[in-house]
Amino acid sequence: MKVCIACGMPMEKKSDFPQGDEQKEYCVYCARPDGTMRSFEEAKAGMTKFIMESQGFDESAAEKIAVSSMKKLPAWKNQLREE
Amino acid sequence: MKSKRQIQKENTRQKIIDTAYQIYAIEGFSASTARIAKEAGVSHGTVFAHFKSLNDLLECIIGEFQIRLASEFHDMGESSASVSDFLDAHLKILMDHEEFYLRLITERSLLPEEVQYMYADNQSTIAHHFNLLLSREMKTGTVKEIPVHMLFNTWLGMIHYYLWNKDFFSPDEPVLARYAGELKHTFISLITK
Repeated sequence: MKVCIACGMPMEKKSDFPQGDEQKEYCVYCARPDGTMRSFEEAKAGMTKFIMESQGFDESAAEKIAVSSMKKLPAWKNQLREE
Repeated sequence: MKSKRQIQKENTRQKIIDTAYQIYAIEGFSASTARIAKEAGVSHGTVFAHFKSLNDLLECIIGEFQIRLASEFHDMGESSASVSDFLDAHLKILMDHEEFYLRLITERSLLPEEVQYMYADNQSTIAHHFNLLLSREMKTGTVKEIPVHMLFNTWLGMIHYYLWNKDFFSPDEPVLARYAGELKHTFISLITK
């Protein structure tokens, strides 16, 4: 099963992919309007917001959780190792 | 085509994960890796041949839990599932993993930070699907206009309270199976207009 390299979401149907392109490695939520993949900072902000909205957590805690999960994802593994 | 040795290696790895899961569920996260090795029928060294560290083993266990959750809920967002269907699905997963989940919520502070964050991330996945369903039902006017994170936290609060006080609510049998219906119907009554 294909999984988004930037957020880990399972991608099963066409609508999960940006612009319906099933060749892409990332999902529709991790894509910018022009179809390219979001940057690390954009993804981090998005994931932090997602955690805050879904559970009501404090922003700094949500950010730590977001970064921790991003560390494991193919899109961000190397980026975080450099920091 | 996998070699016999490779299959054996994967089987041993899975055996260690399954054994660790059971031991952590029954004894908590302070159980030693030596204990896990003994129960799994492998040497202590074998455990660390398969897992870089204790952290690594814990992450694998929580990771497997996460995958199970993600697949259970992923289909629900787009389908015509109701809040009731969601609560049933959530309860089912928790019932299947009651002892382990109770350990997780009781002993979370004993776990490495990274593993705690994985747990929190899991909860966000569940919360997100819950919130999609709730938002839809708020739009159709069936559910009260309450911030979705508060509804999620209320549901979780109820479940965790019953789990934490299992010895009072259900000393001799699993607590969630016994109260699933009541919890679900009460929650739905509270949130429905």
